Amino acid sequence: MDELKIEDLTCYRGENLVLKDLNTKIKSGETLVIRGSNGSGKTTLLRVLSNFIKSYNGKVLFNDQNILEDPNYRYFFNFVGQKNSLKDNLSVKNNLKLWEIIYQKNISYSKLLEDFNMSHLVERDVASLSDGQKKCISLLRLNFTESKIWYLDEPFVFLDEENSQTLIQKIKNFNTNNGIVIITSNINLQNTFTNEIKI
Amino acid sequence: MFALLKRDLYLALYSSSSFFYTSSFFVLVLVILPFLFGTNNVQLQFLFKGVIWIGLSLSILLTMERIFNADYEDGNLDIILQQNPSIEAVIISKYITHWIVYCLPLFIVLPILSFLFYVSLDSFFLIFLNLFFGSLGMVFIVTFVSALTLGAKRTIFLKAIIVIPLFVPFLIFGTNLESWPILLALSMMSFVLSMYVSAYGLRLYVE
Repeated sequence: MDELKIEDLTCYRGENLVLKDLNTKIKSGETLVIRGSNGSGKTTLLRVLSNFIKSYNGKVLFNDQNILEDPNYRYFFNFVGQKNSLKDNLSVKNNLKLWEIIYQKNISYSKLLEDFNMSHLVERDVASLSDGQKKCISLLRLNFTESKIWYLDEPFVFLDEENSQTLIQKIKNFNTNNGIVIITSNINLQNTFTNEIKI
Repeated sequence: MFALLKRDLYLALYSSSSFFYTSSFFVLVLVILPFLFGTNNVQLQFLFKGVIWIGLSLSILLTMERIFNADYEDGNLDIILQQNPSIEAVIISKYITHWIVYCLPLFIVLPILSFLFYVSLDSFFLIFLNLFFGSLGMVFIVTFVSALTLGAKRTIFLKAIIVIPLFVPFLIFGTNLESWPILLALSMMSFVLSMYVSAYGLRLYVE
């Protein structure tokens, strides 16, 4: 049973206090939704949890080990931020190939794209896709690692009803396989995920 | 590091124009010369030694946005830094790919240009050595400036103001055919400075 624990987390960005004395914990099979208004520190929190931001007060523990001191922690999570990590001038297929190289994992593109009904877009340039289609493709990155935690920054932005449901189902399947998911969101997801904190 | 190297080379291959932009630019800068100064052999040989450095400087300067900024703007830098815990390895990989993609094509067209400008074989080898060591140093310099100005959009003029004075020692010694050891030393110094400052710039971004 994995557990992620945040203890007395306080974080400044420049001179601004963004996170103050945050305490929470989340276990395998759970999804935590972090809600808050614009600029409330949701993305900062995910970047702290992803070990990008390293200067803060308090502790973040994964299975009782401080994430700052655990060299293997990077293998345990996958972070999908608000930027799509796609090269506009390349086709969807070539973008997926680049991820394949950097994550060092061979994957079947056609099966991946079927998840979001995007198989017909495989040869299209990313620049010609809608924001929603780009978001769906960026979420396919979740399949490139065998991680235990997903950090998703505003994953439902630009997604239509059908693709939102597909993503919710993927999150629930991941939870069923003992994965931990932390989502930031401006919108109310309490009907879908009950575990929520406001910052 | 090798995965990142492979990824960057594939990225350049998929956007195949990358290989041609700088070499075409380089050729065009040199081809303008006879129109400006006539076709006198001796004069062209003399000008060639200097103008190739202007071509090289501009080619490297104009492509510096692609070292880190392109990956920063589309979010790929987060993936790169997550997958590569050593920032120094990321920087070295960027040096190698940037040199291969944007400088190597210049060395491929250099023999043809030298022939067109009546450069003797002896001079050609010395020019080649000078340019090789100089281009390495220049790539080190643009890499650290690129890392330091990460996230600053549309600041190519600011970057040019920072970079061009740092290129001056390379230009001064580059036009002297016997000075490749000095250029090698300058490149080694640039490497040390660049590693330190680039790592600092990337850490600032991550934070």
